[in-house]
Amino acid sequence: MSAPGSLPLPAPRAAAMAGGEVGTPVRRWLGEATAVFVKDWRTELRTRHALHTLLLFAVTTLITVSMALGPLGVSSGERLAVLPALLWIILLFAAAAGLPRGFVQEEETHTATALRLAATPSALFCGKTLYSASLLLALEALLVPLYVAVMQLPVVSLGLLFAALAAGGLGLAIGSTLLAAIVAQAQGRGALFPILAFPVLLPLLLLAVELTRGAVAGSVGEGVLANLLLYDGALAVSGLMLFPIVWNP
Amino acid sequence: MRHFWHWLLWLWIALAIAGAFLYAPLAKDFIGQSSRILFFHVPMAWGSFVAFMTAGVWSLLYLGKRQLDHDRAAQAAVEVGLLFCVLATVTGAMWARVMWGAWWNWDPRQTSIAFVLVFYAAYLVLRGAIEDPDLRARLAAAYAVFGLVVAPFLFFVLPRMATFTLHPDAVVNTRGKVDVDARMLQVLLVSALGFNVFFFWLHRLRWRLLRLEARRAAEGLTMMTEAQP
Repeated sequence: MSAPGSLPLPAPRAAAMAGGEVGTPVRRWLGEATAVFVKDWRTELRTRHALHTLLLFAVTTLITVSMALGPLGVSSGERLAVLPALLWIILLFAAAAGLPRGFVQEEETHTATALRLAATPSALFCGKTLYSASLLLALEALLVPLYVAVMQLPVVSLGLLFAALAAGGLGLAIGSTLLAAIVAQAQGRGALFPILAFPVLLPLLLLAVELTRGAVAGSVGEGVLANLLLYDGALAVSGLMLFPIVWNP
Repeated sequence: MRHFWHWLLWLWIALAIAGAFLYAPLAKDFIGQSSRILFFHVPMAWGSFVAFMTAGVWSLLYLGKRQLDHDRAAQAAVEVGLLFCVLATVTGAMWARVMWGAWWNWDPRQTSIAFVLVFYAAYLVLRGAIEDPDLRARLAAAYAVFGLVVAPFLFFVLPRMATFTLHPDAVVNTRGKVDVDARMLQVLLVSALGFNVFFFWLHRLRWRLLRLEARRAAEGLTMMTEAQP
């Protein structure tokens, strides 16, 4: 990105938004995390690059899937098995296309050093994760109704669907934030991200697919949601612990 | 007698192989002699798990002390662990062909081991994508420590969570009891111990080789810089 609009906030302003030197450590930390979140959304809204990439990727894939299968391509008995899986495959690949940009851009525009000075790593990790999660949730809010309509996915339990989309989206965001920070410092970033991320994200995907099937069937196996949240939690804890190592030279 | 324990290990594994074919009885409800693969398949799976945990521990140690030698130990553990993991997968697929009629059918345990294989293969790809040794060591170590979280989940949680699997109970099953014939268990434990020691031997060799390669690269570099005026 060479557009001047994509530059993040200069360090002094981020620090000013974080409350400067005054305030308790907790409030400063919260201020830093919020500043990173706000900064990412502001630069994103200037170019809308990630948003467009995610959305167009998802819609194009949805069109491909819909065209290949047709409205009646999947018999009603097989919908339960096929449609939730396809939905999550679309979301996974859309995430892989859009989310690594968060860190790759910081390296490409040489703003990573300023960011290292401006925010503590854990606050930065949380801010970036929140940004990725909100981006994914926005994508889900646009894509899933479209998917339900086009593919005629009969949803019985809206609560389970929301739980699957929220917990699955959050996990995708946490996992890809850590891995994007790794990939951004290596060569061949674009190709490397799916290779590193998919083994980590696939267990999450299996659980999310299972939960989405539950939303269609009306009930879900015992412990699926608990395991999904547990995996989210494990990703979050290890992400918080490992991110400072990945981020600080 | 420096290599005394190598000969002991050969003898020990030979004993395990002989025991697997001559001493252990056949398991019930298995087609033909197919249950005998247990004595090789299970030690391979355990060995790969031990290997990946070893890699995680060496990576933690690297992150604490920042010694490149620890990073090389982690790399060696992943490489040998992948070999064990491939062997576990292949022996599993052979057995599945006999018992279930297909080499691969995405049984929960096959799913897990496929993820584990891809994860640690990705570790090696990541290493290949970074030039600077210190950066490579740091990022690879972070990924391997991440594996400490992901791998137990894949090895233990995911297969047991599945509502339906054709895979026979793990030796210590979900009910926490050992219901295997005593002689089968003896052979299995002998074989598991033998192959685990074998892993550590291979690991030591590979580690030494990596260390020598690093030294040769460093020497080549000093020779080149000295040649220039």
